[in-house]
Amino acid sequence: MLIFKGITKNYKEPVLGPIDIDIKSKSFVSIIGASGSGKSTFLRIASGLISQSSGSISYKDNIKPKMGFVFQDSTLLPWRNVLDNILLPLELTKKINPESLEKSHNWLERVGLKGKGMSFPGELSGGQKMRVSIARAMVQGGNFLLLDEPFSALDEVTRRRLEDDLLEIWETNNITVLFVTHSVTQAVYLSQRVVVLSSGPGMLLEDLAIEKNFKDGFEETPQFLSQVRHLTNILKEEGGEI
Amino acid sequence: MIRYLSYIAPLLTFVILLILWEFLVILNKIPLYILPAPSDIFSSLLVNYKDLFSSAFVTLRITIIAFAIASFLAISLAILFSQSKLIELSLYPIAVIFQVTPVVAIAPLILIWVGFDNAEYAILILATIVAFFPVLANTNLGIKSVNNNLHELFSLYGASRFQRLIKLQIPFALPFILTGMKTSIGLSLIGTVVAEFVAGSGTSTGLAWRIIEAGNRLDIAKLFAALILLVILGIFLFLLISYIEKIVLKKWHDNSIR
Ligand SMILES: Nc1ncnc2c1ncn2[C@@H]1O[C@H](COP(=O)(O)OP(=O)(O)O)[C@@H](O)[C@H]1O
Ligand SMILES: [Mg+2]
Repeated sequence: MLIFKGITKNYKEPVLGPIDIDIKSKSFVSIIGASGSGKSTFLRIASGLISQSSGSISYKDNIKPKMGFVFQDSTLLPWRNVLDNILLPLELTKKINPESLEKSHNWLERVGLKGKGMSFPGELSGGQKMRVSIARAMVQGGNFLLLDEPFSALDEVTRRRLEDDLLEIWETNNITVLFVTHSVTQAVYLSQRVVVLSSGPGMLLEDLAIEKNFKDGFEETPQFLSQVRHLTNILKEEGGEI
Repeated sequence: MIRYLSYIAPLLTFVILLILWEFLVILNKIPLYILPAPSDIFSSLLVNYKDLFSSAFVTLRITIIAFAIASFLAISLAILFSQSKLIELSLYPIAVIFQVTPVVAIAPLILIWVGFDNAEYAILILATIVAFFPVLANTNLGIKSVNNNLHELFSLYGASRFQRLIKLQIPFALPFILTGMKTSIGLSLIGTVVAEFVAGSGTSTGLAWRIIEAGNRLDIAKLFAALILLVILGIFLFLLISYIEKIVLKKWHDNSIR
């Protein structure tokens, strides 16, 4: 899906890389690292929002995938109702057609907000806003979803529900997910692969394929705990604030 | 209860002050040409209501027109600034110069340029200048305050400049614009009155002229009546914009943007 070759990013000083990584199509990859390790920068480069200082990015079949981006805050437009917020990507890319509304309604339902289409963001809870944000990222029918610490401001229960819904969306839509988080358990729980960045400039410290024998109750297995412990130890040795 | 208190408390204070004022004037036998009692002012208002109200209308009309022109120009200019840093850097200091120059000081100049026969235009121009800056500054600030993630969201979908302006920057700036307008409407009234004072008798028949006239005749009760109308105008205009703000921003009671 996406191949990074020797990607670096410098602002006043180097903040990222060089990084070589190959994100496979339809995989679920998490990126963890201390705060300031360049996780968001990595995601912004992957999405094309900012350009790298050096190195090259190539996409599968040389086609830049259609991307959806979910920010840490839900970045909804408060003057638009939920449905119009979800429609925004189609509006901006001038793809409004008779099916647009149907697509938006579908996604509204998919994220469990049926009947909330006319509500305004100010009337929603944090979790609901994040759901709208996910629906907005998916409405274009893209195949690459990037999320930057999307659930970190939510309470535990809401977060768990959203995590499972995200997994469900990933599985049923055959999309690739690149998920930035600072939570090791979250990364291990969700992903097939966890990439650890060193604290600035962020380089690959570890690239771990998560072994997951069964899904239900995965968190109670020794397998889960040992992988969490392994990653936690790496982050501890690296130091820095998570 | 607290909600009603916020209306009742100031109203009650006001009434008590009026009663106190009435009694002090009566007890100390203060002459009418120094300080009239509230009852005198009220009866003067009733007697002179025709001149006073028609003057209030003249002042109100200029205030609103000046406010509308100022708002339109200021919002347009702020939009222009958002499109070009160079234009902003070049013109903003000039706007500041206008802002810090006391309107009284430029009034004679404007009057001469426009011609004494067109005093109304001069007043309009002066009030517009006074009302202009708060809307400019606030709109500018509002457009600049658009959070970076929202800009990135628009970039992600390849939004054009125009889309960004119409669908992001202007709606985002709306609460700021309305805040600017609330300041601006009051300034527009002040600007109008000050300009009326400077323009003098001429053709102007606004409230300022009534105040000058009443002062010259030592008709202090009428002077106070005109003054009270002026205050009522100011409060009315402020409440009007506040009400519009409330309606426009009804859906915004929200923190999704921060
Ligand atoms: N636009 C920018 N200009 C200058 N420095 C930046 C910019 N964006 C990020 N940085 C710096 O790059 C480093 C990595 O930032 P970021 O990718 O946001 O880290 P993370 O998301 O892992 O917390 C930080 O030190 C940050 O200060
Ligand atoms: Mg970050």
